[in-house]
Amino acid sequence: MAALATEPVVEAMERGSQSYAVATLGLTKRFGKRLAVDGLDLCIPAGSITGFVGPNGAGKTTTIRMLLGLIRPSAGRGTVLGHQLGNARAYLPRVGALIEGPTFYPALSGRENLMVLARLGGISTKRVDVVLERVGLGARGLDPFRTYSLGMRQRLGIGAALLPSPELLVLDEPTNGLDPHGIAEIRAMLRSFADDGMTVFVSSHLLAEIQQICEHLVVIETGRLIFQGGVDELLAARAPELVVRTESREDATRLVRLVTRMGRSARMVGDDDGRTLEIAADCSWAGDLNRLAMADGITLVHLAERRSTLEEAFFEITRNCGQEVLGNGDARAAAGRPGRSSAPRRAETGQP
Amino acid sequence: MIWRAFASEWVKMRRRRLWYGSYGAITGVVVLTTIVTIAGALHHPDSRGDLTLAQLAHASGLSQGLTQSGVLLGAVSFSIAAFQFGGEFAHGTLRNLLVRQPRRSVLMAGKCLAVLTFLIGAVVAATMVAICAAFVMAHLRGISTGAWTSGVGMADLGTLLGDLTISACGFAVIGMIAGVLLRSSVIAIAAGLAVLLPVETILTDAIPGMARWLPAQLLEAIAQGGSSAAPFTAALATVSAYLVGAVAIAVFVFVRQDVTA
Repeated sequence: MAALATEPVVEAMERGSQSYAVATLGLTKRFGKRLAVDGLDLCIPAGSITGFVGPNGAGKTTTIRMLLGLIRPSAGRGTVLGHQLGNARAYLPRVGALIEGPTFYPALSGRENLMVLARLGGISTKRVDVVLERVGLGARGLDPFRTYSLGMRQRLGIGAALLPSPELLVLDEPTNGLDPHGIAEIRAMLRSFADDGMTVFVSSHLLAEIQQICEHLVVIETGRLIFQGGVDELLAARAPELVVRTESREDATRLVRLVTRMGRSARMVGDDDGRTLEIAADCSWAGDLNRLAMADGITLVHLAERRSTLEEAFFEITRNCGQEVLGNGDARAAAGRPGRSSAPRRAETGQP
Repeated sequence: MIWRAFASEWVKMRRRRLWYGSYGAITGVVVLTTIVTIAGALHHPDSRGDLTLAQLAHASGLSQGLTQSGVLLGAVSFSIAAFQFGGEFAHGTLRNLLVRQPRRSVLMAGKCLAVLTFLIGAVVAATMVAICAAFVMAHLRGISTGAWTSGVGMADLGTLLGDLTISACGFAVIGMIAGVLLRSSVIAIAAGLAVLLPVETILTDAIPGMARWLPAQLLEAIAQGGSSAAPFTAALATVSAYLVGAVAIAVFVFVRQDVTA
């Protein structure tokens, strides 16, 4: 279903549509007998910050390398910034990339390293100083790369990606190995890029980070697409819960019976003597619950709505996907479940 | 496009340590062979036909020491080129370069030109230093240098410089090919030097006529202006054919290979 629905997006982009920065159809890469990427249908909306999530070995870096023309796809097609995937020379001048960590010549300074890339790409050398300032390395630009801390190396890598004033910025694990302060810096930087109108495609293991900065999400596992769409859509798809703590264990037991009579499910959680419950309901039912509890003489000491985190949603969809694959033997079916890919709906309605 | 790749490569090659190391090694090799050749010259001819002081006083005397440096100069040139190409794979910097220049053949051509110009500069500089050393050694050994600075002597020196440069460039191209195909500077240098020096020498000694077919032997012959086993023109033609074929294979592989480093 996802494959069928993504086809119009690819075709529209091939005709010059600018709605999506990247669209692929059945993108596949096989290394010998190993299938690294399996029929991936990507749609990255233009101007968005899109998170690219998946476990280690899921095929994220291989996908990114295919988009950048470093690896030749075994099958499939796609477009990047309106140009065919096989014609990397047409779109790469408008793409900036940090692939699998920052790698530079250790003996050269940060500035010289950027000069190597600027000269190669026909980019004005004045841009090197602008970029160094932008990533906060203006004062250390003349120091050898080997003396840089991990955070500085990551920033130089992002600086290299920014050199061509890109329309599409592809960052592979830009926060790898950074401390919380460094992660916050990168997060702020990514937001500022999006504010400048860039499309940012960022892969990361840090789901909390992705949740904070990305509005769009692509999830893959073992090379297969298992979700793409808005982060909010993914989180909304998972039912919110009310978390309730009662004054005593007896109250909690009575509340479970009361909630069950009302047709809701409740379960005891936590280790506070069985006084905390999770009830399958959203916050619109919180008032009713409070009144019912009061009427029944149950004292609530805490009542709040708990939205699921991206991490919980990620584990749930990867688990569900695995079950479905085992169940029907068709991973694409899991990828194409209604609600799992919002791109087709957008494509059909013509929304960007 | 090639100019951009050339200029980009030169940003890397401007670093001081590379200059000191490469120019130092090449100059050291050429000067050392010059000094050893002049220092070892005999006063009188012997049965083995070793070089004599009288022979060194001829117009071609200045070139004698430089001629002997062909193989060592080639080994250094090979190593520098293999390091420049194989290092891109080993450091993982190749992917950055290919994002900025996706035309891989253009990137390779630009890098190749940059490395060759670097080496040509090194050979010329080393030759100048070696000439100075040769005059000092000639003075120490009482050799007349009048013929060295004659028109014939200068022409001979110019020819030799050209031959040495061609030979060094040939070794460098082989180094680049090894770097691209083996994707590692360490493996390329180790394997390349092992094949080009001891293996080829053993094969040449073991099988008569092999010197006409083995690339390092041919390049050494070119550095010497031709040898009895491999005349200059034949050696140049054979090596050129080898290099064209090998470069075509390296470009084909480089353009088509997946960059996973």
